[in-house]
Amino acid sequence: MIPQIWSEKLLATMINADRNGAAELIDQALAEGVEPWQVIADILDPAIVQLGCLWEEETMSLAQSFVASKIAEDALLRCIPEKSDTAHTKGAVVIGNIEDDFHSLGRKTVGLFLSAAGWDVYDLGNDVPAEELLEKALEVNASVIGASAMMQTTALNIRKLRQLIDDRGLTGRIKLAVGGAVFNWRPDLVAEVGGDGTVRNAVGADELFMHLQTEAQREATP
Amino acid sequence: MNFHTVWLSCGVVRAEMEELRRRGLINGELLFLDSMLHMDPPRLEATLTAVLEQNTGMPGCLVLVYGDCSARMLDLVHRFRVGRVNVINCAQLLLGRDRYRQLMLEEAFMVLPEWAQRWEHIMKSELGLTKAVAHDLMGDNRGVLVYLDSGLVPVPEQYLVEFSAYSGLPWRVETVTLDCMLATLLEAQVVAKAWAGQEAEVQYEK
Repeated sequence: MIPQIWSEKLLATMINADRNGAAELIDQALAEGVEPWQVIADILDPAIVQLGCLWEEETMSLAQSFVASKIAEDALLRCIPEKSDTAHTKGAVVIGNIEDDFHSLGRKTVGLFLSAAGWDVYDLGNDVPAEELLEKALEVNASVIGASAMMQTTALNIRKLRQLIDDRGLTGRIKLAVGGAVFNWRPDLVAEVGGDGTVRNAVGADELFMHLQTEAQREATP
Repeated sequence: MNFHTVWLSCGVVRAEMEELRRRGLINGELLFLDSMLHMDPPRLEATLTAVLEQNTGMPGCLVLVYGDCSARMLDLVHRFRVGRVNVINCAQLLLGRDRYRQLMLEEAFMVLPEWAQRWEHIMKSELGLTKAVAHDLMGDNRGVLVYLDSGLVPVPEQYLVEFSAYSGLPWRVETVTLDCMLATLLEAQVVAKAWAGQEAEVQYEK
């Protein structure tokens, strides 16, 4: 079966809240020899992107989206590769849903992808005040903070984190990655909240964080 | 200026809104939309837009009693220059921000009185969740059902028992006053009046 067909079938299970069906589908793909990375990139990722589009087009309710998202998370966990080399990491990153935001799927997915890509991920969870995100970044010497928000109102709370970073004179040293459904249908919001970058989905997170870390290191070098 | 206020509210808090007006704590006109519109976001947004368009140019101010229920809720606020309760959802409206955050930390699934009557239809028909899937999903993400008892209708114990069995989560009742809700409504009304005042000045200058 070609990946597109797998992906369409997976999306259908997600929309129909068929958790077992989604699990069986992923297991079947793996059993048929599809590599885990390919399941993620060619089957799961397009389904997640499509799910995001349905949300953006508002053809799914928040409740339906939530249920579908949980199934996507299950599927991701079934095929995420084990982190093999713990001695060699790309560096530390801090992620969290910004204060008042409780939509954890995107953040968890990004965390899984980053961890699998070799980052030391410090996931502070939901509803994290800006101060905590910054303090943790300083504690673990992270160059990038990833702040997540799903809705318009909560995304605006990221402005406080931007302000804190700037007020502490850390503008170049600590970069701010922002993400969540709201940034996909409203890209102008990235600049409005002071983000240094975003990606549409978790698959691109590693590349974004690498880019931002490189920028931070370059700016920190005299 | 003394503005006539239109409260455009989700029907999920109908009883609470009517009680606040009955007590004389808010005044003006109450308009309610069916809470089931949340299951169909385009219809929710289209309906809200239509009502807001109907009220454009009317004297007075309008307050949206909605959380972040549509992906473009803030756009509607800015487009129609209305007030909106500064909460992310109706549970936070009843509980206030601090208590809501505490309960979320406890992984509570909050059940509002109006919603409790419809739990079976929403979970089974709208979301298509079988008991087994609901059990798994709710168990993974939530720790307890918390019924928010605003004291206006009897606690629907039978529904809660059934929902608990369906979801696999224990349940409890949390009594809420309408104080937090009232404060949030009045804050939003101040903003709505300010918008309306600016509009009135513009009209006067014309």
